[in-house]
Amino acid sequence: MATNSRPAGDGDSSNRWTRITERGTLLGMRVTVWCYRNFGRRVCLALAHVVVTYFFLTDGAGRKASRAYLARVWRDPRGRRVLGHRPGTWQSFLHYRAFALAIVDRLAIWSGALGEIEFDAHGIELVDRLTAEGHGALVIGAHLGSFDAMRLLAERTNTVVNVLMFTAHAQRINRIFRELSPDAGARVIAVEPGSVHSVFEIRACLARGEVVAILGDRVEAGDRGRTSRVPFLGDPVELPQAPFLLADLLGYPVFLMLALRIRTGRYTVHTEKLADRVRLPQNAREKGASELLTTYAARLENYCLEAPYQWFNFFDYWGDARSP
Amino acid sequence: MQSKEEIFGWVADVLTHEFEFSADDLVLETRLIDDLDLDSIDAVDMAVRLEEKTGFRFAEEELRSVKTIQDVVDLIHGHQ
Repeated sequence: MATNSRPAGDGDSSNRWTRITERGTLLGMRVTVWCYRNFGRRVCLALAHVVVTYFFLTDGAGRKASRAYLARVWRDPRGRRVLGHRPGTWQSFLHYRAFALAIVDRLAIWSGALGEIEFDAHGIELVDRLTAEGHGALVIGAHLGSFDAMRLLAERTNTVVNVLMFTAHAQRINRIFRELSPDAGARVIAVEPGSVHSVFEIRACLARGEVVAILGDRVEAGDRGRTSRVPFLGDPVELPQAPFLLADLLGYPVFLMLALRIRTGRYTVHTEKLADRVRLPQNAREKGASELLTTYAARLENYCLEAPYQWFNFFDYWGDARSP
Repeated sequence: MQSKEEIFGWVADVLTHEFEFSADDLVLETRLIDDLDLDSIDAVDMAVRLEEKTGFRFAEEELRSVKTIQDVVDLIHGHQ
C-alpha cells in the first residue's frame, strides 16, 4: 500500500481506511445495520473485532502510523498519564480496537438506536441557542471519537444538521439514512473535488438556520493549496482552511464539536466556540484562517491527549515518511 | 435598470480587483471554472461580492447553472 505512506494532503483520499469506510457506507451500510438489528450489539462487536484484527495484522503502514501517533501522545505528560505505558504493539492494537468499538456505536446510531447511547453534553447549548433563534452555524469536527454523534444535536433540538461528506454517493446515503431512522434531522451534503455546487448548498443550509458539520482534520483533493501548516502534537501538520474561509465569507460562527467515548453506551460531547461570526481582514484572510486553524489544532490536541485511542487517522499524518 | 454592458463591467471589476485577473482575459464567453480556475471558495467570494454590489441574493438553484461570465451577467440582469 504505497498510498499509506503519502502525506495527509494528497494521499488521503486514496488512503486505505478512507476507502474502507467509503465502501462501508455504501454497500455495507444496509448489511451491517441489518446485522445490528437482528443479531444485536454483541455479535456485531465480535465481528468488528475480527475485521479490525485482520487489518491490524495486514496493514503494516497503518500500524506504523498508529505507533508514530501514540509516540507523540506519549511525549506529552498528560498523554503519558492516560496511556500509562510506553506505546508498543499492544497499544497500537488498543488503538485499532477503539476503531472497532466506534464502528459498532456508529451502527447503533445509524439504526436509530440512539437510546442505547447516552451523551453528556458540555457546551452544546452554545449551538442550541443559535439555532433556536434561527441562526445557522458551522460545526467543525475531526476523526477523533464519533462524528456520527452530530446526529445527537439534530435529535435533541430539532435542528437540521447537514454533514459534509467527501463522497459521490450522498443521495443514496441520505436515502438509506431516511429509511433507517425517518425522524432524524441529519442530512449528508456531498462534496466533490472541483465542483462548486456543494458550497452554495452549504450557504443555503446556513441561511435557513441549519447546522453544517465539517470534518476539519484532513486535507481533501479539492483543497488545492488552501491549507496551513499548524503545530499539532509536536510538529506542524497541514490542515484545510476552507471551513474558516467559508465561515468568514458567509459570516457565521464556528464551533468545535467532538464526541468522545467514555465507556460502552456513554459519550461526552464537547462543544467549544472557535470564533464568533468570523470576520477575517480582507488582505490577510489566509493569515486569519491560519490563526483559527492553530486554535483548532491546539484544542484537537487537547482532546487527543484526553482520549488518545479514539484518533482515527491511520495514516502518516505528519508526513514523516517524506521528511528527509 | 443597468444594461448588460454595465453589469459586465461590475463582474470584470470584481475579477480584476479582487482576484487579480487581467482585464484582457475577461470576455463574456470566459468560463469561470474551466478558464479562470476558480474554486468553490472563490465562487462564494465572488457571489457574495456581487450580491453586495447589486443588493440581490442569488438562490442556490440559480447559481448551479452558472458557467460563464455571460451567465453571471444574465443572472444579475434577470434579477432587476
